[in-house]
Formats: sequence, C-alpha cells, structure tokens
Amino acid sequence: MSVGVGILIVSTLGLIIFTALTRGINPPSNVERIDPKKLHLSGEFAEHNLGTTVAADGSVVTRVIATQFMFSPHCIPVPQGRPVTLRFASPDVIHGLLITGTNVNTMVIPGYVAQVHTEFVRTGNLLMPCHEFCGLGHSEMWAIVQVLAANEFKPDADGRVHCVSEY
Amino acid sequence: MSNDQHSFDSDSSEVMDEIDDEALAAAMRVVPLGAGVLAGGAVALLVLGYIAVYLLVFLPRGVVG
Repeated sequence: MSVGVGILIVSTLGLIIFTALTRGINPPSNVERIDPKKLHLSGEFAEHNLGTTVAADGSVVTRVIATQFMFSPHCIPVPQGRPVTLRFASPDVIHGLLITGTNVNTMVIPGYVAQVHTEFVRTGNLLMPCHEFCGLGHSEMWAIVQVLAANEFKPDADGRVHCVSEY
Repeated sequence: MSNDQHSFDSDSSEVMDEIDDEALAAAMRVVPLGAGVLAGGAVALLVLGYIAVYLLVFLPRGVVG
C-alpha cells in the first residue's frame, strides 16, 4: 500500500515536471522596476503605447495600466493560439488581476512591471476583474480580453490591434 | 451528593476487563495495518484529485509563465 502511494506521488511529481519542461509552464516571475510617478508621461506605458501591438518579428505584446478604478484600455484584443506577452503596471496602489477561464493571474504592484506569458486557447470575450481590493471602486474595476481568431486579429499600419466589436 | 455517591459505588463495583494476551496480540497486528491502509487511501485519493484537476482543468486552460 505504502509503496503504491509512493509510486503515485512520484509519478505525479514526474508528470508535473515533464509538462512544465515540455510546455514551458512556470510561475510568472519578473522583477523589473518602473517609476510609477512618470508612468503616463513617457515610455512604454504612455497612453499611445497601451493596448496590443504586433512587432516586426510577429511577437504580440499587450500593455495595460491598472489604476483606481479601471484598466486602460478597457478592451484588450489578443490572438488565439499565438504566444502573447501581457505587461501590466500601476501608478497608484496594489492591484491584481485574473483572466477568467485561463491560468493568467498576477498582482500589479506600483514600481514594478508585472509580466505574464500565455497563449489563449479559445476565442471569445473573457472577463478580467481586479482581484485585489484597491479602494471603494474596486468592484467596478474590470476589463474585457477579446480573444480573436487569426482572420480577425489584424494589426494596422502601426502594428496596433483593436477590438473588433462591442461586447 | 447522594447521586455522586451512588455513581462512585457503581464504578467501584465494576470488574476489570480480562485481557487475553493472544487476542491483544492479534488486534495489535491488524490495527496498525488498518490505520496504514486508511491513511494511504486518503493520501491516494488526495493525489488522484490533484492529478484530475491538473489534467482536466489546469492544462486545458493554456500555458502560463
């Protein structure tokens, strides 16, 4: 009996390690400082840089500001079945977020960039609420992640992608 | 007070259980094994539940890192 349970535990650990190594699964960890006081003035998280962009090499990066009590932009377009890098920053207090139906789940701490790599499996509109109490308007702080099929995910001349429809 | 006294009297009148050494030895051979089976079964169910959530919920939700 004890041998069987031991084999079961070792097999489980082996399965987790194998899938983690072959599929690149690991806890998001990114230590990157950013000045929260100048977040909106210039640099990566200035207003014109927010949202989803496709770089020349085809990589998809989404930049979002989490602030009391909204995410900017409110609708975040992402492609289905392609690697996406999500980057978040906060100019005020600690926020947190998750994207429903996915494993995306992170804190957003002022002074740091929260970064998550993921790949969205299914198309559709996914709710992204703030999950760290951030003030009286916390319950109103949410956004929509719009997962688009390849024929709908079309960057413009600047490489920027927009949500295709109202939700 | 009288009830307490009565209770004391009845306790003192009880006869100690007779312990059969062979029966005790037999019980002590089986009881630890049963405890092990119960603990092992509980751990196995827990691990199987973990595997089920990992395979049926976590992995289908897509990679993250």
